Amino acid sequence: MKRGLGVLVAALAASSISAQTIRPVANAAVVTARVRSELPAGTEELSGTALRGTGAVAFGRFHLLASYLQGSVQPDGGAGQSRDLAEGTVLLGAVPFKWLTLETGPYARAYSTPGATTQRWVFWELRARAAGAFIGSAVHGYAELWRALTADVNVPEPFDHAEGGEAGMIVRLARSPLEGRLAYRIDHVVLGGGSRTETVDGVIIGIGVAWR
Amino acid sequence: MKRHVAWLCALACAAGAAPSRGQAQTADTLFATGVHAYKNLEFDLAASLLRRDLARRNVAAVPVAERARGLAYLGAAEWFRGRRDSAVVVFRRLVMLDPRYRPDRLIFPPEVTSAFDAVRLQTKTALIVLPGDTAVVLGTTLYRFWIVVSSFQQIDVSLRYEDGAPFRPLYVGPVGDSLDMSWDGLDAAGGPPAVSRMVLRVLSRAPTGELASIVQVPLAVTLVPADTLPWPPGPAASDLLPERADGAAAKRALLGGLLVSSAVLVLPAVVGESDTPSEPRVAVAGTIGLATALGFILHRPGRPLPDNVRANQAQRDAWQQRIASVTAENARRRRDVRLTVRGGEPTTIQPRGP
Repeated sequence: MKRGLGVLVAALAASSISAQTIRPVANAAVVTARVRSELPAGTEELSGTALRGTGAVAFGRFHLLASYLQGSVQPDGGAGQSRDLAEGTVLLGAVPFKWLTLETGPYARAYSTPGATTQRWVFWELRARAAGAFIGSAVHGYAELWRALTADVNVPEPFDHAEGGEAGMIVRLARSPLEGRLAYRIDHVVLGGGSRTETVDGVIIGIGVAWR
Repeated sequence: MKRHVAWLCALACAAGAAPSRGQAQTADTLFATGVHAYKNLEFDLAASLLRRDLARRNVAAVPVAERARGLAYLGAAEWFRGRRDSAVVVFRRLVMLDPRYRPDRLIFPPEVTSAFDAVRLQTKTALIVLPGDTAVVLGTTLYRFWIVVSSFQQIDVSLRYEDGAPFRPLYVGPVGDSLDMSWDGLDAAGGPPAVSRMVLRVLSRAPTGELASIVQVPLAVTLVPADTLPWPPGPAASDLLPERADGAAAKRALLGGLLVSSAVLVLPAVVGESDTPSEPRVAVAGTIGLATALGFILHRPGRPLPDNVRANQAQRDAWQQRIASVTAENARRRRDVRLTVRGGEPTTIQPRGP
């Protein structure tokens, strides 16, 4: 297994040497976040808006991506305290095929409620994203799935599994580095054998700059 | 006595010549014996031998230079025999044979050369010197030849059909020694010759205007049209881009949009969550669906592709330019029709007897 992975990385590295152009990517997005926590004691739903910034540097078939999201979500119906939501991601990616991207790295999420303990979720993820242009060369569609390989969560329930995904489209203006993004994302975490689930989903509307 | 000895020597030489040595060797022997007799002042014997030699040489069609030498010795021999009229006739034959010939003044005494010069001045004839097989471009390059005359005279140079009808006059006027002539390959009307055989004729006239001699050479002419370039082939169908969209882009937009919209809609189920509200997903999927519909309309089958139309038009324009250049080149080549000219053996006609 390790040998196969080494061969794949070596092949990708060799092919990327021929294209040693560093291509930076940056975008900002407004994310409508909706948090749904299902506990044995009941279900809590919160929603709000967050801002997400993403930066990436691509080098050949590899890239390094970092993103940060911050916002606050309020309980639906107005009762209860709001939470501050923060997410951070650092992912190392590779493009084995033009339409497929594989990424791995840590993903951290924090819920902080005034006067309460901040919940911290740290996952090591493996992501796979398929993308391709479907309206000329201007509109690209993509679908992404991820799964947590390991997790470190400071909640009483033991971690079970976590999965998530994102799908949407990116509109790239001709002869311009500007791009716009519209997507739907969802993260679903299961703890305690299903006794507790945490789901975060929302719509991403963003603009970005990508030097290709 | 000497004359008899010379005769005996000549007979012995003639009898001793083996038949197998051939006609040329016999003629050479006659000529050498005749010259030897001339140098020994045996002019009668020399004249007899040289006449026989010349008779053989005329039949054998030997080179003009050798025949001219024989005539010179014969004329000198006749002169010293006291037969001035015969000498004049021989010298006239010599001038008619080769107007350029001049007796060697180291061999022949002044009275002979003076007599020859007098005959030459009175004899009006010409020699046509043609180049080898020559190709000329009609109306552009020239077929050049040289006319050498025996003495100052009026000449009339013309090209004629085989039946003697005039084809094209080239020159009428005086000539002192020689004249460079040329022909552009065209007939009197400026067109290419319609026949393959014609005659180049030079008429020599005496100072009184009487016709003195006619020299003519048959010419074989062949029109050789230049090869024209083939038309350049038009752009191959495989080189042209489609000028109208096929259904592939529209189909891709439709299928891609459906796929992405479906992915948005089923994403919660894929990750194991089924209780999420559907509004955000439907909003995103609907927007993608609108974009898909717009993309389908923009890439509908049969719509014109302006970039491809321009690229194809550029190819067609380049082809039209190649056609135009080939047309111009072929027109130029058609004008450059070549004419090959091959000269034959000259013949001389004397209206008056010597």
